[in-house]
Amino acid sequence: MSSRAVRKYAVVFKVALAERLVYRGDFFVATFLRFLPIITTILLWRAIYDGAGRDNVGGLSFANMVAYYLLVMVVRAFGSMPGLSSGIARDVREGDLRKFLLQPIDYLTYLLALRAAHKLVYYVMAVGPYAIVFWLCREYLPALPGARSLGLILLTLVGTLLLGFVINCLLGLLAFWFLEVGSFLYLFMTVQYFLSGQMFPLSLLPDGIRRVVTLLPFAYETYYPTLVLLGRMPAGDIARIVLVQAVWIVILAAVVRFAWARGLRRYAAFGG
Amino acid sequence: MLARYTRILLRFWKNCLLRDLSFRTHFLVHTGGEILWIAMALVFLKVIFANTRQVAGWNEHQYLFLMGAHLLVTSLFEMLFFSNCWRISERVRTGDLDFVLLRPANAQFLLSFERVDYTTAANLLVACGLCVYSVVALGSPITVGRVLLFLLLVAAAVAILYALVFMFAVTSIWFIRQTSMEHLWFYTVSIARYPAEIYRKFAAGVFWAVFVFVLPVLIVANLPASVMVRTFDPRMVAFMIAAAAVLLALSSVVFRVALRWYRSASS
Repeated sequence: MSSRAVRKYAVVFKVALAERLVYRGDFFVATFLRFLPIITTILLWRAIYDGAGRDNVGGLSFANMVAYYLLVMVVRAFGSMPGLSSGIARDVREGDLRKFLLQPIDYLTYLLALRAAHKLVYYVMAVGPYAIVFWLCREYLPALPGARSLGLILLTLVGTLLLGFVINCLLGLLAFWFLEVGSFLYLFMTVQYFLSGQMFPLSLLPDGIRRVVTLLPFAYETYYPTLVLLGRMPAGDIARIVLVQAVWIVILAAVVRFAWARGLRRYAAFGG
Repeated sequence: MLARYTRILLRFWKNCLLRDLSFRTHFLVHTGGEILWIAMALVFLKVIFANTRQVAGWNEHQYLFLMGAHLLVTSLFEMLFFSNCWRISERVRTGDLDFVLLRPANAQFLLSFERVDYTTAANLLVACGLCVYSVVALGSPITVGRVLLFLLLVAAAVAILYALVFMFAVTSIWFIRQTSMEHLWFYTVSIARYPAEIYRKFAAGVFWAVFVFVLPVLIVANLPASVMVRTFDPRMVAFMIAAAAVLLALSSVVFRVALRWYRSASS
């Protein structure tokens, strides 16, 4: 990208940043509320570990399990893209895309800049509530990572963000071919909740199913990065996860570009 | 009197059926999504019981029955009351509540029963399937009396949920904007989903006591399920039926008091 292009998207980033900072209203309360369902999940796991009579379920101790659900929240803060796919679908359907096609701006890069700004604002504001919850749960959490693994961890989280971005772009672009994608998105999000390991760690699945599920990009979007944060991965494995993330990002970004080009041709054909 | 209200109710239900049938895709997708959730919950159940033989005193089939009872109660509530309660704050905001108050029938009745969400009908079938399957798998003898008591408690559970959510909804007359309704319902559903015993030690038992005796959402699935497949505790059964009656009466009082503050939305 030329320096002019970088400046262009930097402006998008800055404007989005300013816009986001306006709405910080009940942000704190909302962030705390998000941890509420985890309490129930943790209490259920307490009962499961008590029933099992041992401190090992699916290779995780009870403390690990608690940490897993808490860290999933951190990873989701990077990977989840609320409104991205439905926003793209709306722009395609209602013709707002034209606005971007007429300007010397790439729609998808524009969206990435916008998202990056939203995410950054979110991290700055959420760090307080997260710190409080994590401090309260400190006895369950792994020790803080050293400087070297911190670099790898950040890399995995960036991978999660980009992977979440391309997956959601692809879903949104389906609107070029289908009139109404909202219902499909709903079903997809439901399945993704399971396949990405948000419901429970994928290591608990029976071997055959687990082998298939952990090949999918969703596992690399949430499940593996969470294990990395959990500190249960040697550096070599983390490097492998980052690599597979990169491969998935490249593959899916190529598909997104292809879908974008094909979709635009259809779109142009429709337009008056 | 009763015949008149039955006639209104049937007319409401028929209108909604016609309405729902004209949005078939929505119907199918919603049902598909619900079935996916249930399938995922069943996988989770299998995963849990691959590691333990009981959770908080519930074995696999008892737990499955609890899942069925939870689905039955929450789906019934969602079918009959959720969209009605949800629309109340909207009606307060737009002043649309005027048209309900003007009609020659009980306003709380009209507000609470106008819509039926038939998209949850498939859930009811699945819920019954889960309940019947797990009872058969448990192999314990079933009496007609047990089943009738179970159904009575399910009705009490729906009444409790209705009264609590309705009261929350009418507070929008004071606070106008109310976007938190869906979140509240989501948390209520997730709290009630698992064996109530898991909360016994949490926060020194205060959480458990509050959500069993004050805002009795913890018992809505647990108690009917317990009566059917675990232990029959007559005192708790009596408590649940009394709680349903008291909360229903309270909802009517709160509604009438709130109406005194209502001053339409027009200029």
